[in-house]
This record gives sequence, structure tokens and C-alpha cells, in this order.
Amino acid sequence: MTDTAAFPAAIQEAVADALGLDETEVTPLSTLIGDLGAESIDLLDILFRIERKTGVKIQASDIGNHIQGGIPDSEFGDENEIITPVGLAQLKKAMPQIDTEELAGKLPADQVMSLFTVQNLVDLAVLRATATVDA
Amino acid sequence: MTKLAGQVALVTGASRGIGRAVALALADDGAHVAVNYRSRADEAQAVVEEIEKAGGKAVALAADVADPEQAAALVERARAELGGLHILVNNAGITRDGLIYTMAPTDWLEVMRVNFGGVFNCTQAAMGHFMAERAGVIINISSVMGERAWTGESAYAASKGAINAFTRNCALELARFGVRVNAVLPGFVPTDLVDGLLAKDGGKAIKRRIPLREFATPGQIARVVAFVAGPDADYMTGELLRVDGGAAAVLGTGRPD
Ligand SMILES: NC(=O)c1ccc[n+]([C@@H]2O[C@H](COP(=O)([O-])OP(=O)(O)OC[C@H]3O[C@@H](n4cnc5c(N)ncnc54)[C@H](OP(=O)(O)O)[C@@H]3O)[C@@H](O)[C@H]2O)c1
Repeated sequence: MTDTAAFPAAIQEAVADALGLDETEVTPLSTLIGDLGAESIDLLDILFRIERKTGVKIQASDIGNHIQGGIPDSEFGDENEIITPVGLAQLKKAMPQIDTEELAGKLPADQVMSLFTVQNLVDLAVLRATATVDA
Repeated sequence: MTKLAGQVALVTGASRGIGRAVALALADDGAHVAVNYRSRADEAQAVVEEIEKAGGKAVALAADVADPEQAAALVERARAELGGLHILVNNAGITRDGLIYTMAPTDWLEVMRVNFGGVFNCTQAAMGHFMAERAGVIINISSVMGERAWTGESAYAASKGAINAFTRNCALELARFGVRVNAVLPGFVPTDLVDGLLAKDGGKAIKRRIPLREFATPGQIARVVAFVAGPDADYMTGELLRVDGGAAAVLGTGRPD
């Protein structure tokens, strides 16, 4: 199934079901880990539900790779594990909502995932669905 | 009975003993069964034929469950040959009896690799399919020895204790995916595995210690496994079920002498 128009609603529902939340509590701008409190097992649950609903298979590790866009760790973060300007530019592609000026020089690498929103997840799923078709 | 109609079960170590009885019982309830074995192909094939003769469907699949790659291939073959997978019974097991004082490190490690490793490997190989389906049942064949001590059984008991702990954790991590995980803990069942324990007097002395005064038949264990696998147990998960004639219920010998 690649009717990606149905993805936002399906994914919002998957997130709400996995976290035991009302669908109204899950907005496109909600961050999964930050706002909604998702833990790693919740994320796994969400991804399996998305696979069931949309047929798109996303591994937990895919999210991190998608966000980092193939940039090696050494260029993504500096020696203090703070995201570099190069890293931030990449993050902006995967997560357009972030304010790179605000985050410049103070985003620890291990906090990156906490910026990932429901909309970002929808975008990733759509990307996956269309990439699979092209392949 | 048809409680498991339309279901596919994989039973590890099903060429003999308890695993064989479990394969027959699940087939009897209507499941199609993958009969795993390590080396005894003829005996596994005999189990398949017995199931087919009764009108069921089964295949024999070789794999050493202690090897993660073979376990993964086993799960994929079972799914390919029987069209899915709904029930995993982790039954394959070995023992290396001996006193701790004289035990070679390779002995406990081998027991751990097969008993706990087999459970872990097959669970990990199957769980993604169960999670995607939001359904599935895993039953680990543990032992009362995982909960009580018996001279010479330290390695075996430790491996079963590991299985018991793993069963609870696995139940927790899989519950939200609609997958149930339980363990069945047999007491004494006369199979090749316990030849050594029963050699002395045919097990007469041990029988006296069992409240029900009899060893279990493999079929008596298998019926409980079939129950746990089936819809009658669909609210049961994270449970360790003893099937031991009351053996582990007793304090000491249960009497003053
Ligand atoms: N018998 C008892 O009193 C008793 C009590 C409590 C718990 N249990 C447990 O019940 C389970 C079955 O025991 P059992 O008494 O039926 O033993 P058994 O008669 O010795 O049969 C063992 C089975 O496991 C298979 N197996 C062994 N190692 C394997 C491996 N690495 N990979 C795949 N298959 C392997 C054997 O295959 P091959 O035929 O090809 O060798 C055989 O089918 C075990 O987990 C055991 O610990 C038994």
C-alpha cells in the first residue's frame, strides 16, 4: 500500500494506541520522546503498528540513521559530543521544524532523538514508501 | 479437537521425549507442526509420519538451536513450509550431571548454550513475526529443577533458572504486542534425558518423594503445554507452571522422618 495520503492519520493512531493516549493528545508537532514520553519499547511498538497499518517497515535504528543522514559521528558531533554546524544542517533536513540558530553550539548528540516529532515520523514513512516503489 | 486449527507450531527438540509428545498434542488440537531435531532425523520423521497418519500436517526440520543462525533459519523454514508461525515451544534441552566441585567449565557452558541459548535464539528469531501479527504464543519448557536444588544438577538447574527469569522478562516485553510467553516446569518424566537419575532402582526412591507417587508421562506434560498454547489460556502470560505431581510443593520430605 502506498496511499501515503492516509499515513498521517494512520501514524497518529499508531502512536496514540502504542502509548495509550487519546488521539487528540498526539499532534504532528508532538515530539515522541520529549512530549509524549515514548521509551524504546514504545518506539518499537509504534513502528510495528505502522508496519501493520501502512506496510512500511521502519527499524528503530533507521530513525537515527535517517536523522544523521550518513554523516560520520566524528563530523556530526564535536569532541564534547555537541552537534556541529554540519550536523545541525543535516538535522534541519530531517526535522525542518527545529530552530538551528537556537540550538547552535548547545545540542548534545544524545538529545537529538528527543526532537523527533510525529510529523517527522510521517515524513520518514512516506519517504520509505515511495523509495520502495522506486526501487 | 480443533482449538488450534489454522495455527502453525514449531517445537524444538521434538524427535523424542517431551518434545515429541508436545508435537503430537498440538497436532491433535489441529495445529500444523514443525518437528525440530538436532541429529536424529529418523525419529523426527517418525513423529511427522505419526501426525500425518492421524490426519495432521507436519515437517521435520534439523537445526542446532544453540546456534543463532541455525535457529533463525529454522524459524524461516518453518514459516515457509507451513505458511506462518503462531506457536513456539522451546523444548530442546540437554544436561551434564555432575558435582560443582569437579565440573569442567565446558560442561555448564554447553548446558547453558543449548538450554538457555536455544530459548533465547528461537525467541529472538520468531518474535518479530509475532510482533508484526500482534499475536503468538511462546512456551518454554523449563524444569522444577530451576526452582529447587538436586545434587548433581547445578548446571542444568542454573540454565532452567535462567529460562524462568527470561520467561518473565520476555512476557513483559512482548505483552504489549499481544504475544504471550509462559513456561511449563515438568518434574520427573522418564525420557532419555533422565536415564542417569532413574538408573539405580528404576526411580523407585525418587517416586516415594513425589506426592502423586508417579512419574509424569510425556503426554501429561504435553496436555498442559497444549492448554497454555490455546485460547483457554489467552489471559495467561509470564507464568511458570509446575507439572510435577506435587514434588516442589513439599517442604523437605513433607513428614518428620
Ligand atoms: N525428562 C524430564 O524429567 C524433564 C524434566 C523437566 C524438564 N525437562 C525438559 O524437557 C525438555 C525435553 O526433555 P526430554 O526429557 O524430552 O529430553 P530428551 O528425551 O533427551 O530429548 C531431547 C530432545 O532435544 C533435542 N535436542 C537436544 N539438543 C538440541 C539442540 N542443540 N538443538 C535442537 N534440538 C536439540 C533432541 O534432538 P535429537 O533427538 O536429534 O538428539 C531431542 O529431540 C528439556 O528442555 C528438558 O530439560 C525434562
